[in-house]
Amino acid sequence: MNIIGPDYLVFGVDDLPGSIEYLTKFGLKPVGVDASGGLFEALDGTGVIIRAKSDPALPAPLKTANMLRQQVYGVQADSDLDAIEVELSKDRRVVRLADGSLETADDHGFSLKFQITRRRALSMPAEKINAPGAPAQRAPNEIGVWEEMPAAPRSLSHVVLFVPDIAKAADFYCQRLGFVVTDTLIGAGPFLRPKANDDHHTLFFIRTPDYMQGCEHLAFHMGGPTELMVAGTRLVKSGVQSFWGPGRHKFGSNWFWYFNSPLGCHFEYDADMDKHDDSWTPREAPMGPEASQIVLFEMREKWAPGGPPPGAKRE
Amino acid sequence: MSGTLVAQGYLCRAEEVAEGAARGFALTGRRHKVIVLRKGGRLYGWLDACPHYDGGTPMAWKSDAYLNGAGTHLACHSHGAHFDMTTGVCTLGPCLGQALTRVELHVTTAGEVFAAI
Repeated sequence: MNIIGPDYLVFGVDDLPGSIEYLTKFGLKPVGVDASGGLFEALDGTGVIIRAKSDPALPAPLKTANMLRQQVYGVQADSDLDAIEVELSKDRRVVRLADGSLETADDHGFSLKFQITRRRALSMPAEKINAPGAPAQRAPNEIGVWEEMPAAPRSLSHVVLFVPDIAKAADFYCQRLGFVVTDTLIGAGPFLRPKANDDHHTLFFIRTPDYMQGCEHLAFHMGGPTELMVAGTRLVKSGVQSFWGPGRHKFGSNWFWYFNSPLGCHFEYDADMDKHDDSWTPREAPMGPEASQIVLFEMREKWAPGGPPPGAKRE
Repeated sequence: MSGTLVAQGYLCRAEEVAEGAARGFALTGRRHKVIVLRKGGRLYGWLDACPHYDGGTPMAWKSDAYLNGAGTHLACHSHGAHFDMTTGVCTLGPCLGQALTRVELHVTTAGEVFAAI
């Protein structure tokens, strides 16, 4: 089953204008969005779909406060959809929609959709750095940062779910859909990647009571740590509340910066995540601040040191 | 020195918080803002610190955006917890059974709102 990762995450929100404002500020591009909501996409076409929570077109809500309504997974080919249909039809209802996509639910009742991926191939450079001992990545006179530099989310990276039963969640995605555990934070849960994606994780679970079940956060890949911090700084300057970061995780090695949102979960910019193949041996570490991150910073307003103290005697 | 202490607790003028609205005000040297909201004509003060995590985390999604979409509850825009605007008790979401920290407010005859912290 060549599942690539999440194409879209669908939310039923209670503040549609606020959510539209937020997703736009976050750097996603509205596509066909009107007063009833719509798709906000990253550069590769993956993204977030929002509707009013009362919209009858949405899958049913979770039994909790969470606003996540559906995870839409992209797969490589029709044969992958066929394989998923055969496997999941063994013990649950799988609906084949007119466009060939499949709708069903996982063992926790999260609504799932599988479709031939809509993501577009990107061809853009990663952030380029220069360091002694290594070939320069930027040519002479090629500058690294400028005030108006682009810093747009490139691709929907991963989703993190609060679930009451980690084993049930991991078993469904690993044994039924071919996901692989890359690492585990003991006390929280495992990081998973699907077969057709070499990112460290597209899915992570955190164990919580059942009244919290839902989406903890979702993340978009940026072009590098500088883009991540530039985009985050712009977001905070626009009034958005930072939650955690910027920093760099240990498992996955990805830079992170999380923000509050009106969609009832955090939104994250991530950058420079590890890649893995099937030769990787999963690691384990007890969940905690040290295991979670190698560095953590907190944004402050810009200032700059100067020459003499402000009270210095003028010559 | 009491004058200095009172000055540090100044939040806003009472008329800056409209009926049914909530706003956040920073206090110098304090990690958490104070949320001032007006409900039924009365002002209420709450620490901008969701009890979900130790130490509390900020609840707005942007400046002064503390309410749910319908404007009926204080909401934490980390995970969507709802809190009663007048009691601070969590009614929905991760913090069920917990409550926000109340901040006593003093409104002067001139209409200035101070936090008693």
